[in-house]
Amino acid sequence: MERWIPDEAGEEAALRADLGIASDEELFTDVPKRARMGRIGIGPGREEAEVVAAIDKILDRNRPTYRYATFLGGRISPRYQPAAVDAIVSRSEFYTAYTPYQPEASQGMLRTLFEFQSLWIELSGMDVANASLYDGATAAGEALLLCRRIHEGRRFLVPASLPWEEKSVLANYASGPGLAIEEVPYDARTGGLDLDFVRSAVQQKDVFGLLADVPNGFGHIDEGLVELKGILGGVPLVVSADPLALTVLEPPGNYGADVVVGEGQGFGIAPSYGGPLLGLFGCRKEHVRAAPGRIVGATVDAEGRPAYALTLQTREQHIRRSRATSNICTNESLLALAFVVYASVVGPRGLAELERSLAEKARSLAGVLADVPGLRAPRFDAPYLGEFTIELERGSAREFLDHLERRHILGGHPLADPRPGAKSDGERILVAATDSINDRAIQKYASAAREALGVSGGET
Amino acid sequence: MSFRQARWDEPSIWDLAPPGTAEAPTPIFGIPERLRRKEAVRWPELSELAVIRHYTRLSQMNFGIDTSIYPLGSCTMKYNPKVSEALARRRHAAELHPYQPESTVQGALEILWKLERILAKVTGLSEVSLQAAAGAHGEFSALLMVRAYFRDRGELGKRTEVLLPDTAHGTNPASAMMAGFTTREIPSKDGCVDLAALRAAVSDKTACFMLTNPNTAGLFESEILEITAAVHEKGGLLYYDGANLNAILGVTNPGRMGFDVAHLNLHKTFATPHGGGGPGAGVLGAGETLAPYLPIPRVVKTGRKYRLDYDRPKSIGKIKTAYGNFGLDLRAYAFALAHGEAGLKHIARRSVLNSNYVAAKLGKDLPRPFRSLVKHEFLLSGTPLRAKGVRTLDLAKRLLDEGVHAPTVYFPSLVDEALMIELPETESKRELDEFIAAFERAVRDTPAALHAAPRSLAVGRIDEVRAARDPILSWKDLRARAAKVEAPAPVSSAP
Repeated sequence: MERWIPDEAGEEAALRADLGIASDEELFTDVPKRARMGRIGIGPGREEAEVVAAIDKILDRNRPTYRYATFLGGRISPRYQPAAVDAIVSRSEFYTAYTPYQPEASQGMLRTLFEFQSLWIELSGMDVANASLYDGATAAGEALLLCRRIHEGRRFLVPASLPWEEKSVLANYASGPGLAIEEVPYDARTGGLDLDFVRSAVQQKDVFGLLADVPNGFGHIDEGLVELKGILGGVPLVVSADPLALTVLEPPGNYGADVVVGEGQGFGIAPSYGGPLLGLFGCRKEHVRAAPGRIVGATVDAEGRPAYALTLQTREQHIRRSRATSNICTNESLLALAFVVYASVVGPRGLAELERSLAEKARSLAGVLADVPGLRAPRFDAPYLGEFTIELERGSAREFLDHLERRHILGGHPLADPRPGAKSDGERILVAATDSINDRAIQKYASAAREALGVSGGET
Repeated sequence: MSFRQARWDEPSIWDLAPPGTAEAPTPIFGIPERLRRKEAVRWPELSELAVIRHYTRLSQMNFGIDTSIYPLGSCTMKYNPKVSEALARRRHAAELHPYQPESTVQGALEILWKLERILAKVTGLSEVSLQAAAGAHGEFSALLMVRAYFRDRGELGKRTEVLLPDTAHGTNPASAMMAGFTTREIPSKDGCVDLAALRAAVSDKTACFMLTNPNTAGLFESEILEITAAVHEKGGLLYYDGANLNAILGVTNPGRMGFDVAHLNLHKTFATPHGGGGPGAGVLGAGETLAPYLPIPRVVKTGRKYRLDYDRPKSIGKIKTAYGNFGLDLRAYAFALAHGEAGLKHIARRSVLNSNYVAAKLGKDLPRPFRSLVKHEFLLSGTPLRAKGVRTLDLAKRLLDEGVHAPTVYFPSLVDEALMIELPETESKRELDEFIAAFERAVRDTPAALHAAPRSLAVGRIDEVRAARDPILSWKDLRARAAKVEAPAPVSSAP
């Protein structure tokens, strides 16, 4: 279907006539014959209704999270999004705009991004924030590169408990400049960072930064967080934080973080099978000129009225090219809009209340799972909010979760690196309380877990 | 066209209502005191209506494709079909978690797999990954693949250099730097790569040559086969920046031209919305040489089942969380299905027709630096305006007063006072004629009017220098300023 290519009364003929050409082929005489292609080899176009029918038929093969009692978390939350958020995000003045290179024509998006930056600053305790990066993992990658710009060294410390995907992304960001990622072991009981390891690593002088996450890869809150900066001294501390957790936890800026990154998807953005997501990034004022990404600043117009524009652009690729602080161009502005609308609709009290209710659900889930034989819940003895790790004493995490799925439960996700040959610390599953679960769902999880473990236990 | 943008005297959201209580949130069981937030997040408590009104008013002070023709060169600001928006919001698409069991997301995997097959055909490359979040992210990932390839061949120590033309998008050299390469610019001749200069520069130090074709001057690099051969002869690889693919869809493709790896921007060619700066979606295409290095997981089909394959020992690993920007991939898939073979080819023909039509008209007002036959975009130089004390920037601002967005300005740098104009296939002749008329009114306006522009928008000409010299980047900064102003002058203590 070519309906979106206009055809108002034979206008293509008129355009050709005006150019004095007989056929469109004359527009492509600069493409050498030997480089030409024949057919693309895809099907014929379809009417809009046919496209919808075809795609709906495929989408029907999905079983979305709302059909289940859902305990999936990690950095991505299947959380309810108030309809007000999509109503704003659907305004096409926002979603059909480009990056605001012409600030006078784009005050709406610029002011929104200024509000977004301000909100991440309030949550994280940082001085400055950028207008977003791709996702939490790439924001951590950019934080690593920022640390290297502000501190000497070759080694960057990350928790061994960090999700394997994030370790892999970080390794890629580190690989260009030839930097090394080094894993800090965790305490076998609490899952928290081994602070003695950090202490001795820092003494070796070659460390240019450390990343800690809250909640950590096991879903827990590491009590050692507040001691890290004292150990690191001048070595930059990056904290990767969940924005909802930050509505009830101390802002990382208050315990010495130099950079705070995070995944913002849970604030008004549908999971959409993992993308698009929203990378949050903030840092201390003295490092702003080394920071990546777009930044919006307040200024005035010719008549002295308040106005907003992209600023400090000499850091960026379109000006600085190979000496830019990052290659990022397209970011996640529309999702930054969703983030700030979500936070404003729910409000600071509502957000803290939501996190408190998730924490209560998680606690009652942990309580009932603790009684299931063959399963350690929580696996680690450390504080937690809405999620924690369980460990199976028999059977595989994948089979366990498949069994739960047949009982209409999405019971969490395996923490193990799925690459063949990757080392595994055990059959661990990250379990999250989501806003849609209730006591019944929690009881159902426990009985399905018994079944899953009982069946495999009984057969062996 | 008479135009006036909404001009709401709308405060920032924190000035609509005082922040809620500063009291700490109710403590959560088990969270130690030293990790608890001592004060509530400082943000206003507002009614839903107040929030809706605030952002609705802000939206009215923003140009989008749906309000205005948006001829930004190299950005391909085409119409974003509404059906794609509707489909991406289906609960069976939006409410999928990336860590669900594969058996429960067969539809999502099928869409990814099918879109990858379509894009492999469009690019002429053997394998495609949709993991990259945007074009620049694709560039960075592809260069990591190039690195991994040369490491496997034991040539990484030697092949340290990425070559690129002086017309390259800024992301190209920035990505090369991030991936650990040095960059070297190849000069252009008449707006295209100077083949002799390239031949002189390419050596056994060359890892790869990055090129967009058509290039940022809007010209098709007609010596493309000689260019790719020259780099291959020295053992280097060829990277295709697909930002400008719109013009050549179905005419030629990176594979035919001799490229080893490419990125495409679904938010350009496949009409997913730009979102005021993002999200985008990057496509990575690789020929047989580099395909084993694509990020994991790869979507594979076994019998009638789709699954994620992590067993790719040469893969560079992950480049972001989860698989990719599925919400945008779905929109792009709908766009590709609707167009089909003939439609995709029509896109190239029509965008090039539109661009040449407007170029011929505007070429009477301002000089065109290179040959007349262009592809999806063209360049003008604003240098003649200098005679009346006017710059390209003034012209861009004056265009905003016409209710049309300005073109890309001051890029590429090889053209003085450049304007880079792209008119995608979704603009009708009537819209093009209106744009031409608006441009002509703007270019012929008085210097005083050009300097005073814009006058019809929510704000007048913005002082960007001040924004950079004296950065105010948040509410926190604004509060600090206010506190400074309000603080009484220091009084020396009484003796």
